[in-house]
Amino acid sequence: MQELLGRISALDPEASLSLRVIACFDELVIGNVNTRALLSAAASLSGCTAGYHQDHPRRSMRVTPRGDVRPEEVLVPADAGSASEGLSVWLERDGAPHVNDAIILERLALAVRIRHGRGRRDLDNRRELGLLLDASVPVDDRRTAAARLGLAAGCRHRVVAAPLFAAWTDHPAGPQDVVPTPFGPIHAVVVPHDHPPVVASPAGTGVAGPVEQLHRSFRTALVALRLCLPPELPSVQADDYGGLVALLADTPADADLPDVDVLDTVMTHSWGGPTLDAVVRAGSVRQAARLAGVHHSTMQTRLDVIADVLGFDPFDGLGRSRVGMAYLVWRLRHSRVLDLPAPVRGNPMG
Amino acid sequence: MTTARPDFDPELKAGLAVVGGVFPPTITPDLIAFMRRSYASPPIEDTLRGRPIARHEETIAGHGGDPITVSVLRPTAASGPRPGVLFVHSGGLMFGDRFSGADLVLDWVDRLGAVLVAVEYRLAPEFPDPYPREDVYAACEWAATHAERLGIRRDRFLVAGASSGGGLAAGLALAARDRGGPRLCGQVLDYPMLDDRGTTPSTGQFDGVGVWDRVSNETGWTALLGAARGGPDVSPYAAPARATDLGRLPPAFIDVGAAEIFRDEAIAYADGIWAAGGDAELHVWSGGFHAFDIFAPHTVLARGMIGTRDAWVEKVLAD
Repeated sequence: MQELLGRISALDPEASLSLRVIACFDELVIGNVNTRALLSAAASLSGCTAGYHQDHPRRSMRVTPRGDVRPEEVLVPADAGSASEGLSVWLERDGAPHVNDAIILERLALAVRIRHGRGRRDLDNRRELGLLLDASVPVDDRRTAAARLGLAAGCRHRVVAAPLFAAWTDHPAGPQDVVPTPFGPIHAVVVPHDHPPVVASPAGTGVAGPVEQLHRSFRTALVALRLCLPPELPSVQADDYGGLVALLADTPADADLPDVDVLDTVMTHSWGGPTLDAVVRAGSVRQAARLAGVHHSTMQTRLDVIADVLGFDPFDGLGRSRVGMAYLVWRLRHSRVLDLPAPVRGNPMG
Repeated sequence: MTTARPDFDPELKAGLAVVGGVFPPTITPDLIAFMRRSYASPPIEDTLRGRPIARHEETIAGHGGDPITVSVLRPTAASGPRPGVLFVHSGGLMFGDRFSGADLVLDWVDRLGAVLVAVEYRLAPEFPDPYPREDVYAACEWAATHAERLGIRRDRFLVAGASSGGGLAAGLALAARDRGGPRLCGQVLDYPMLDDRGTTPSTGQFDGVGVWDRVSNETGWTALLGAARGGPDVSPYAAPARATDLGRLPPAFIDVGAAEIFRDEAIAYADGIWAAGGDAELHVWSGGFHAFDIFAPHTVLARGMIGTRDAWVEKVLAD
């Protein structure tokens, strides 16, 4: 993986490799893998042998970047980092440390501690942001986490969410970390509520709130992120969707929503996406036709098809709300924004 | 609503967190240029550094007599004829080069003493079918014809390929059988790309997740076959899943992940060989996404896959 990290920095010199290292160990901790797997990931990420030793009971292991356990007797290096009392980890680097060695060793030590039942997540001061954004954490603990991160009580902030491969034109200063989500590891950054729009692709900016409500900001930022459609729509502000964004954030992925299911049929038409997009923005059939760049009669024909499939008129009363909500949920369900690589600056594809 | 599918192995998931953005799950035609840069192999000198392996390059006649390059890698200590391997690289038929994934087969050179011939077959869409497979066939014939000079034993020569290279290797074995071409003592098909039709359940299960999804596969096959993809006129040498006769083939070693689109076509191919009375060994690795041994070779799952494959090759190839 050291080679992969090298390729990533060659493709995007501004890519945050340390965040990828953190995300990698996050997944290993969630997956509850053993010490050998943790050492082998550290060795693979650093490109040199990784080792571990514990005093009671006496046990040691060294693993190569290829994942092989080295059979030789282990001598704990004098400069081995301590994971906790009687437990040490190290990287066997010849020469000067590489730029990511410290973060690899820090994450390895933490993961080994957790695997051995000695670590608690709250010992890990980098994870304050994870606590702050987790609604299941008691509110007092979240306030403490905010204070440690330097976020003043009573001030309003927003969370910006982006995948690890996002391209940032301007990286905001502010507490940041990688946070595990159902959509994979997400890069989260906290900015003041009046921060100018973040220029990154793709990225979603959540609604503003006090520190006690930043978990909501993060969840709405995730919705905004998943509504991005780069390159046309590289970033989305949750505020643009007002109260709808909270409903979208609270809708379970497997919610039974027949209006959304039937949109699959509309979307099989090549005009389906652009037409629905115009319909939910427009106040009339004529305006929808203008937004979609088609003749009024073409739009009317498509609307007849849509009304027929949906079983209601998308321009009539509650039909407007139904089609709007269904369209947004459909887009979230089919979002590919977290799959695609960022365009590489200075090296246009093609 | 959400598709049920086997989960990825936790170590591999951690690897995906690192891979993200280098190898996207969904590769559309507009990403081919990006993939050619991101999937290019590291300098071969770096890969070979410290290994007792000598390399030389040759230009041979590929399909239609056009020049193509092959690299010959041999153990520096070797004397006399050695077992040979034709290596066919991965890269979805559209990217990669003859050294992509080569570090995994170099052990066969310095540990088993084999001579490796790596072929720079031409890539789709610039060179559609039959260029890639006929370049591979030409390299195979060239190696057999020049076996003495190359120090390769004709009676112990196998083909090995991964992903698109696995499909081309399987196609080569079929073509060599049908055309009375060079005799192969084995075919190593790593998670092979065999079927242009994209209709198996595993293809539907891994849409937009992991490495190499349904859409990427369509992109690759369309690059190779154009409008013929999925239709009635696709050659079994291009898409070996189309072969109706899987008899009289060299022994096959097939491995694949349980969590990838090629799972079902790999299983079906092994099953077809057995049904025809042939010799096939099949390994399906639970929790494995496509090409996990290339992306995360340090994981327990990849160590298992690589070790199992190497043991089979040793059985077939070693003195």
